[in-house]
Amino acid sequence: MKEIVVVSGKGGTGKTSITASFAVLGGKDIIVADCDVDAADMHLLLEPNYEISEEFHSGELAYINQNNCIQCGKCYDVCRFTAIEVTNGRHTVNALNCEGCGYCARVCPSDAIINKPQKVGQCFTSIIKTGSIMVHAKLGIGADNSGKLVAKVKNEAKEIANDELKEYILVDGSPGVGCPVVSSLSGADFVVLVTEPSVSGIHDLMRVYELVERFNIKTGCIINKFDINQGITNEIMDFLESKNIVHLKSIPYNEVFTEAMLLGKTIVELDNDPVKFQIMETWIKIKKTLKYL
Amino acid sequence: MNLAFTAKGTTWDSNMDTRFGRTEYLLIYNDISKELSSYDNRESANYAHGAGPKTAQNLFELKADALITGNGPGGNAAAVMEKTGIDIYIGAGAKTVKEAYEAFQKGELIKV
Repeated sequence: MKEIVVVSGKGGTGKTSITASFAVLGGKDIIVADCDVDAADMHLLLEPNYEISEEFHSGELAYINQNNCIQCGKCYDVCRFTAIEVTNGRHTVNALNCEGCGYCARVCPSDAIINKPQKVGQCFTSIIKTGSIMVHAKLGIGADNSGKLVAKVKNEAKEIANDELKEYILVDGSPGVGCPVVSSLSGADFVVLVTEPSVSGIHDLMRVYELVERFNIKTGCIINKFDINQGITNEIMDFLESKNIVHLKSIPYNEVFTEAMLLGKTIVELDNDPVKFQIMETWIKIKKTLKYL
Repeated sequence: MNLAFTAKGTTWDSNMDTRFGRTEYLLIYNDISKELSSYDNRESANYAHGAGPKTAQNLFELKADALITGNGPGGNAAAVMEKTGIDIYIGAGAKTVKEAYEAFQKGELIKV
């Protein structure tokens, strides 16, 4: 079983469109894990049935027990997130502001404050339209993604892939270079970088590759919309060569990405579009590269 | 020397855990006393953020001299590891603890 993680650093490069296309091409050989939980959108393209759902807790929130509270205001004084609200002399916690740091509970003289685990969202295991399985999550309002949630989604996918003897786990990785993306990359066999030739595209590509390089994972790169700026595309090509990254494909700018999205389909489900065949070639190349790892 | 492993269980036959910060267990093998001991890392693995630096700190407290793992730590955890001077060997993610130790002895793992 091989784990393929797709990341981009920058948003809007076509990462999820391409990942969802791979998910369709790989069909039943693949377990899909959507770790881009902040703005999860694979479900829009892959039609999951939300078969199994589980609450996910992460971090803590302060809670004031009004029976014990003596309304001394010490919690209000120390809170740096202005999460303690006073209405008619009654102290309560504003859940959206509270960071769960626990300072209020520490200074409370009447032990009225405790930290409670916070429900941040739900984690799902679904059957998708290819007949295969996807593990994904949905965050509550104001909740943020975490390395912990990504690890949960990935571990769940891994267990299913092991049990069902699947060939691949395909992970739609988290954005940026923080904790969630570190967690997305951990344990990967192959990383696919999806980039575009814009100033922020190449900048974020290099930034996220710093992380990938640290993990010593074999990497390939897709340059999407390569023809919108040939100069930066050349720079990206030089970068790939200097880092020994496999150049998987350069895909020209094409509005089929948006068209497919509007239809709620992946590009490879459309009829005879040239981009469809380019993505199919890329998927074959990834599979070949994985064989020699 | 104390050799540390990221593992999914507590014995030589346990599978290695490819993850660093969120590894379930840390196993410590003392190659002088020939003893294998285990540390339950699941509390640190449960941190929403910062599991890596916490696990690096755990390794320091366990007096590890070298770590054998899968992909290795991310940026923040690597900074902690560098300060503590614990050597990191990667590439043992798909093995059992025993196989990982043998690969380490044969010099097959990559030092980062």
